[in-house]
Amino acid sequence: MFLAIRELKHGKLRFLMIGVITVMIAWLVFMLSGLGNGLSTLSAATIKNMDATYVTFEDGSRASMSRSLLSESLAEKLENQPNVSAATVMGATMGTILNNSDSGTNEKVDIAILGTTPGSFLEPNVIDGKPLQANESLEVIANDTLKKKGFKIGDTLKIEGSLEKMKIVGFVNNETYNHLPAIFTTLDKWRSIQFAAPGSDKGIEKPVNAIMLQGKNIDSEKLNQLFKNTETVTKSAAVQGMPGYKEENGTIMMMLAFLLAISAFVLGVFFYVLTLQKSNQFGILKALGASNRFLGRAIVSQVFLLSFVSITAGVLLTYGTALILPDEMPFSLDLKLVVLYALLLLVISILSSLVSVRKITKIDPLQAIGRME
Amino acid sequence: MSGIQFKNVSKLYQQGENQVLALDDISLTVEQGEFIAVIGPSGSGKSTFLAIAGALLQTSKGEVILNGKNLNELKPKNLVRLRLEEIGFILQTSNLVPYLNVLEQLLVVKKMAGKLAKVDKGYAKELLQSLGLAAKLEKLPEQLSGGERQRTAIARAFMNNPSIILADEPTASLDSKRAHEVVQLIANEAKTRNKAAIMVTHDERMLEYCDKVYRMEDGRLKHDDSFNRENGNTLLEDKQLQEN
Repeated sequence: MFLAIRELKHGKLRFLMIGVITVMIAWLVFMLSGLGNGLSTLSAATIKNMDATYVTFEDGSRASMSRSLLSESLAEKLENQPNVSAATVMGATMGTILNNSDSGTNEKVDIAILGTTPGSFLEPNVIDGKPLQANESLEVIANDTLKKKGFKIGDTLKIEGSLEKMKIVGFVNNETYNHLPAIFTTLDKWRSIQFAAPGSDKGIEKPVNAIMLQGKNIDSEKLNQLFKNTETVTKSAAVQGMPGYKEENGTIMMMLAFLLAISAFVLGVFFYVLTLQKSNQFGILKALGASNRFLGRAIVSQVFLLSFVSITAGVLLTYGTALILPDEMPFSLDLKLVVLYALLLLVISILSSLVSVRKITKIDPLQAIGRME
Repeated sequence: MSGIQFKNVSKLYQQGENQVLALDDISLTVEQGEFIAVIGPSGSGKSTFLAIAGALLQTSKGEVILNGKNLNELKPKNLVRLRLEEIGFILQTSNLVPYLNVLEQLLVVKKMAGKLAKVDKGYAKELLQSLGLAAKLEKLPEQLSGGERQRTAIARAFMNNPSIILADEPTASLDSKRAHEVVQLIANEAKTRNKAAIMVTHDERMLEYCDKVYRMEDGRLKHDDSFNRENGNTLLEDKQLQEN
């Protein structure tokens, strides 16, 4: 630290340049992670939020609700299996709604209509208004992003291409499905919207899209064997099965991985060049009796200080940017992820400085004498 | 015994197919409180001699005993420690760390050894004061004159209270007034602090401050009697007499 701090103070411009690069890299990493997090929330928040461990789909649907169709009666049988403590069904469909109340705007809004059993573990808690009632099939609860579109409790909704109507009785928070705000309704209501056309239910009695299971250590293999034509997967596999989820996440992760790899090399090269420049100086210090350990620590602590300050600045800039981003932008910073990436960047920059440390160990103190025959 | 002792030291370099004998059977003893000079043309083996004395280079044959320790028997790690604790280097063009002020140049030597105690700071200040740098403690090397830089380097060499001082062309970048000052200071500090000191130089003006002068030629070291203090003359006068 003795050498590290003093050199940082002395070579302000040089270290400022490296610092700015690190800040920019950190900023971009955090922005990307916020964007990735925002997108995946938008894509699958409802599935992520639900308190289930496994999901049963129709065989061949590859963990996608939109490709899967099962009978509700299966839920009861699943519930009786070992380790399964509860099973609840869910149906999903996409739609467009129009505010039918006089006070509302006439803007159409795309939504996801999710049917489930009122009072079950799949129904999210309302933050405003009242929850679903089994016998009130007109009443729905909606994601609170609809508030910004001018919807209020008590508004009636018309569904495009359907004669069905709905009435908002409550709002829930952070419930999005397939990039759309979710509206929760009863199963009967959902069925009357989804299977309005005769034959679209493929003759299945009380059709649903998926069955969510609660319980630890569920043997999905056994369930697959026991119930022909079903496929039980973990919740995270169900999240992966959301349309576009893997593709979006994959793209962001690839960018992040490249960015981290690039930053390792850029910083590594920078520190290495600085070390090369100072190799004569290090040679002299070694002749005076400085150990490799002493000099190595000087380098690593310097890189640590510089990276720590730069990454912190990157975090602050990211939170600052988040404040001015438009609301519609799928951007949400997860503190855990921010801390994780900050630590990762710190580790990467320190690892990249180890190349320089290796160089130091190879510097011959004889070069201090300067003119060896 | 303290001080430094060369016992039949030879150094061979392999250059392509040829072997170069840089040092040829050198024996020399420098006692505590003694200040000697090694002079000779470039290529004579002076630097090799200094590098071996400074534990930067191993001998091919023979032994170097520094303050009772045989350098051949020490591991590389212990040699680093020995350089830190027993050897004070004064290098040509001072070679200070550019971003440390005068006081810190000395303190960093203590830092290398571990912790920096309050006593060390006091000792550093006292050293710098005795070298006339009391007013320059906060200055960076770029703000110092050549002489001041070299004096800082001298203070740095004494900082760890080493048993031997090695000076490598300490006057190379100085005008003659400053050069005299600097060598005089090395001589004084070595005497008052009772160190064995070796100066490698080709600057014969500086020999008057030395107790003994050795001449290096083609790897052989010879005691040069022409610079002898005991005949009553200063070395400088000796030289002038010789030339006449």
